[in-house]
Amino acid sequence: MLKLQNISKQFDQKIVLENINLEINTGEIVSLLGPSGSGKTTLLNIILGLTKMDEGKIIFNGRDVSNVPMKDREFNIVFQDYALFPHLNAYENIVYGLRNKKGMDSEKELQEYIDFLELKPHLTKKIGELSGGQKQRVALARTLVTKPKILLLDEPLSALDGVIKESIKQRIQSIAKEYKLTTIIVTHDPEEALTLSDKVLIINRGNISQFGTSREIINQPSNDFVKDFILKQLQIKRQNIFNLFGEKYA
Amino acid sequence: MPNVRPEMRIVYFLLALLFAGFLLLPLSVLFIRSFETSSGFDLSNYLSVLSNKEIIESIGNSFKVSSATAVITTILAFTLAYSINCTRIYQPLKRVIGTVIILPMLLPTITYGFAIMYSFGNQGLITKIIGHGFFDIYGFNGLLIGYVIYTLPASFLLINNSFKYVDKKFIIVSKLMGDGTLRSFSNTIVRPLIGTLGGAFVLSFILSFTDFGIPASVGGTYSVVSTQLYQVMLGSIPDFNHGAVIAVLMLLPAVLGVFLLYFLEKFNFQYEKITDIEWTQNKYRDTFLAMISSIFLLGMLSIFAVMFIAPFLNSFPYNLSFTFKHILNVFQSGDLVAVYKNSFVVSILTAIIGTVIAYSSAILNVRTQLKGRTAIDIVSMITNTVPGMVLGLSYLLLFNGSSLKGTFIIIILCNIVHYFTTPYLMAKNSLSKMNRSWETTGELLGDSWIKTIYRVILPNSVSTVIEMFSYYFINSMVTISGIIFLVTAQTSLVASKIKELQHFAKFNEIFVLSLLIFFTNLLIKFLCDYLQKRQVVNGKKIYRKSEAA
Repeated sequence: MLKLQNISKQFDQKIVLENINLEINTGEIVSLLGPSGSGKTTLLNIILGLTKMDEGKIIFNGRDVSNVPMKDREFNIVFQDYALFPHLNAYENIVYGLRNKKGMDSEKELQEYIDFLELKPHLTKKIGELSGGQKQRVALARTLVTKPKILLLDEPLSALDGVIKESIKQRIQSIAKEYKLTTIIVTHDPEEALTLSDKVLIINRGNISQFGTSREIINQPSNDFVKDFILKQLQIKRQNIFNLFGEKYA
Repeated sequence: MPNVRPEMRIVYFLLALLFAGFLLLPLSVLFIRSFETSSGFDLSNYLSVLSNKEIIESIGNSFKVSSATAVITTILAFTLAYSINCTRIYQPLKRVIGTVIILPMLLPTITYGFAIMYSFGNQGLITKIIGHGFFDIYGFNGLLIGYVIYTLPASFLLINNSFKYVDKKFIIVSKLMGDGTLRSFSNTIVRPLIGTLGGAFVLSFILSFTDFGIPASVGGTYSVVSTQLYQVMLGSIPDFNHGAVIAVLMLLPAVLGVFLLYFLEKFNFQYEKITDIEWTQNKYRDTFLAMISSIFLLGMLSIFAVMFIAPFLNSFPYNLSFTFKHILNVFQSGDLVAVYKNSFVVSILTAIIGTVIAYSSAILNVRTQLKGRTAIDIVSMITNTVPGMVLGLSYLLLFNGSSLKGTFIIIILCNIVHYFTTPYLMAKNSLSKMNRSWETTGELLGDSWIKTIYRVILPNSVSTVIEMFSYYFINSMVTISGIIFLVTAQTSLVASKIKELQHFAKFNEIFVLSLLIFFTNLLIKFLCDYLQKRQVVNGKKIYRKSEAA
């Protein structure tokens, strides 16, 4: 279980995060949802250990990791732009980290990840030859083979289009289920957050607006921000889709 | 970007030490020495230098000939760049223009002077072919020709590069709006380039003002600042304090020039998008510009032609029978071969160590959050400003009594600091375009910072590293102004040896040595271009396929 206690952060006098308290159970998918500048990416970087917080504590499985450096926290992230190394091919990218932690993952396990993410036909391709969805899966594989205790995803769907988006969504859900992996996702898209995750944390101006399951957020929005910005978008979308298909499909 | 780690601090500390010891300290000593007199510190050195008629005249001469050079070079460089970028001149001809124009960069400037003498002198090749002389080449005319050839490649590269960032669609827009030829030309070509044109002018001026090789060979009795400085320092009665004053006076226009360059930056603006257009058919324009460019390039080549001819003739211009005698002589002379070896070793070491230093500086500057990393930008501004002669002289003043005096180390360090700016900016440019998360990713995958640099950052900037290496190598092969005060009999380099051979009128040796430099540089350039192209071809392949996918 991951516990965040009273986390606050300022950048040059400007408050980015204020008193964030949160508990995430093992194996849960949690989305951090908010408009740009809300502080969600900063919170993700604080959990990762990339950004230092000003106040607060991070407790992971009963151990205080607040001052544990990024490398030793054993969390890992897939960045929005994947940050794949272009001079290496897909396979070399995936095994990049294995060289440093020998014996961490057996050859059999490695093949399992590759099969699971359906990357076998693409292993010898250069990064530039991969499509967006393939890149995403290579980046996921590269991160997963290091066996992170928590998987962090920064806007994992924003660079993908249409159908691929939906399939990656399912993939993320099955990873979390298959490996019982706590997954924290940053997104600005309400539809994505509410359909992908077990729980959603809505952040506005550095504060928690609401934390709950999708159902709770839809049925009991805790304030006007959630109503006006989060739910309204979904209602407009629903209306548009109704208009397209006709009421009979409602 | 990664958090600050101890390794970064160590690298930063070493670089700080290097630039403190070999840039800031020597320059401070230079300033102090310029005020030092037998009775303490005052302005008397300046007063006596500024009341010296000869020196004042030489400064005046430098201003005159450098300004004339700057005007001519800027116009010529613009014409050539325009011919390449805005016409329908036959493509291969454009490529030839673009290549030939930069060839002088592969030769020391002192060679230009001798080539001019052997072409336009009373017994010169061109004089003989035409049948009569044109003008007195020793002095203003010779300097002007030499400086124009010297400054043209740099100015051309600058303007040609800027042309690529001009959105040519505006030419069509301007025509559709009813502009006449002149208004269209000034609004869509001149205006977007005005900052660069000003930059080319300032650059040509500074380069001519601070060059030593050309006046040393073809200056005659027409004295300029750099030859004055040389005389004061290494003449019959060396005067270090007066030398320091002249060096400071030489530095001033360079400082002003650099400020001017930063000011001119303001005139540059960025187009949102760069589009190429199909150029209209215009036979007159193309024929005219192709002729101008060709005539100029042929003229330039004909000046250097003598360098390739004279050493193969028995005794140019009197006995024109073919011989390998002079070439063999040079290779049989242990002395000259040793000098060539010196130059080669110095240049290779300068290129390797210099590239490492410039690359590490750029990494600290653009890919870390180290406090004080912007200080490196200030260092690069200073190295961009300080002329080679001034830097060399300040080393001479500081290290004269030390064990560094007369070593190759001091020459190599001088070259590294002297030419630091360009390779540093190349590295910065390439490193700043790379994904910001690579170091973090490497760290999460178990790499140390240094290991990520080695496994990820470096492999993705090979092409830039090769370019940096090539720049350092070629420049340290040809520089004379930077090292003239630092070489000794034991550490003599080709460029300084040429200066020495001039005293004994051994022009064949001079040309053979120049050819050696030329072909060595050409070889390195070809090699580096080839290696770079291989990199780019790989990169391109990736790019095309991803577009298709």
